[in-house]
Amino acid sequence: MTQPANHTALRAQGLWFAYREQEWVLKDISLSVPQGTVTIIMGPSGTGKTTLLKLLAGILAPTRGHVEILNQTIHREAQRRQCYLVGYVPQQLGLVRNLTAVDNVLMGSLGRCGHGKVLLGLFPREEIEQAEAALELMGIGHKRSEKVFELSGGERQRVAIARTLLQKPRVVVADEFVSDLDMALALEILGRIRRAAEQEQITFVMSMHRHGLAREFAESVMTLNNGEILPGFPPSASLETLSAGTTP
Amino acid sequence: MKRTSLVTTIVALLLVVVLGQLGFFDGARIMRGLRNLGILASDMLPPDIGVLPVAGHALWETVQMSFAGTLLGFIASLPLSILGTRNLFPPLLSGIARFVAAGIRTIPVLLWAIIFVILVGLGPLAGTLGLAAYTVGYLAKIYADLFEGTDPEIIEAVGSTGASKLHLVRFVFLPEGANAILTQLLFMLEYNIRGASILGFVGAGGLGFIMQVYLQTLEYQRLATVLLLILAVVLAMDGVSAWLRKRFLLSTQT
Repeated sequence: MTQPANHTALRAQGLWFAYREQEWVLKDISLSVPQGTVTIIMGPSGTGKTTLLKLLAGILAPTRGHVEILNQTIHREAQRRQCYLVGYVPQQLGLVRNLTAVDNVLMGSLGRCGHGKVLLGLFPREEIEQAEAALELMGIGHKRSEKVFELSGGERQRVAIARTLLQKPRVVVADEFVSDLDMALALEILGRIRRAAEQEQITFVMSMHRHGLAREFAESVMTLNNGEILPGFPPSASLETLSAGTTP
Repeated sequence: MKRTSLVTTIVALLLVVVLGQLGFFDGARIMRGLRNLGILASDMLPPDIGVLPVAGHALWETVQMSFAGTLLGFIASLPLSILGTRNLFPPLLSGIARFVAAGIRTIPVLLWAIIFVILVGLGPLAGTLGLAAYTVGYLAKIYADLFEGTDPEIIEAVGSTGASKLHLVRFVFLPEGANAILTQLLFMLEYNIRGASILGFVGAGGLGFIMQVYLQTLEYQRLATVLLLILAVVLAMDGVSAWLRKRFLLSTQT
């Protein structure tokens, strides 16, 4: 709230959310994320991290409160209009397994594409070039024509990020998406994200359970617990989690 | 566990009662039936291959009818199934689409054939339209259920890129469902080949007409040839399905 508006990429104010009436998953969550930074949300599983991220990405509508990205209120019904504001990478990545890597990346351009040739699978040349460039940036340009089910876990993560990069949103919300990777790979992918954040001034908000990675990569860390959010790491961070997160 | 065994007991009891009412425990009748089966089988042997030219022609017509009917029905079922996908369209619209599909499905294929015989006259055109109609009702329901089962994370992820509903259908629902779409289509083609072979009973073209003639004139050896031809086609279809599945379907094993 104290920062100038043009430096705040994402602001959530008084978010309440319940899947069933009166069973609050999130209670009065407010947070603010500066532009071009990486923010990590931690917290025990089942505490509502995924729900919070879906609210921030406009996939769920809050019961009360609102989310603003670059001073524009995010509306669930306006995803197509607001796709340049926020992109979302779910935990299981949400890739279409039967399509090739480059086709999956091209999904990122759908918000800008019409319905003519695209429905026949013919994307504009410049979108294809950018999709290939995004795959190159992620280091898997040579896998462009392989179908997603043929790719390894790490390669799929990169395809998912490349898709979001092609979407060119100002904020990327990603849910535990490096959790299944070994440490070296997680470090590499987060490094690429960090560079994208700095170079393109993209803001990343991610959930994560590895403390080591969070320490290494996040400008700010928040902890969600019992539906409420606090700045910093979880107070009861167990040694086990800490060591699991820092082992190379 | 308790509940499962209670349900099993009730179903078993129901089955016994129903079988009794249907005459399954009438020993003399069943024995007579078995004897007649022996007689019928011996009357069918050896099959009379003299009817092959006639039956072959009718078979070709049957295959044409099933091929055209299945594909026409398939094409028409896609938009209907998409409209019936509840996670894509509001309940009223998807409800109407599903109701239409259920209505079409309620009418058995033989009745559809009769309706089209009335509408367009005797012959394979009526049969083809009848098969197409039934196929629409069946596939629209199967595909709508299939699309609804698409992994919500993929819909959320691609939806958040700003994709429209049409984009989602083209780039998520169809490719994700491709395996099941093809499998069901092949099943329907197989089903329609068997179905098409009796449509001639009501004058809607194909093998059915000559089957009916051979049945009524008690020419069981000729009937046997026709049945063998149908068996051959169904087996051939099995082979083609297996090949197509192997060729296209291994792809989504993750």
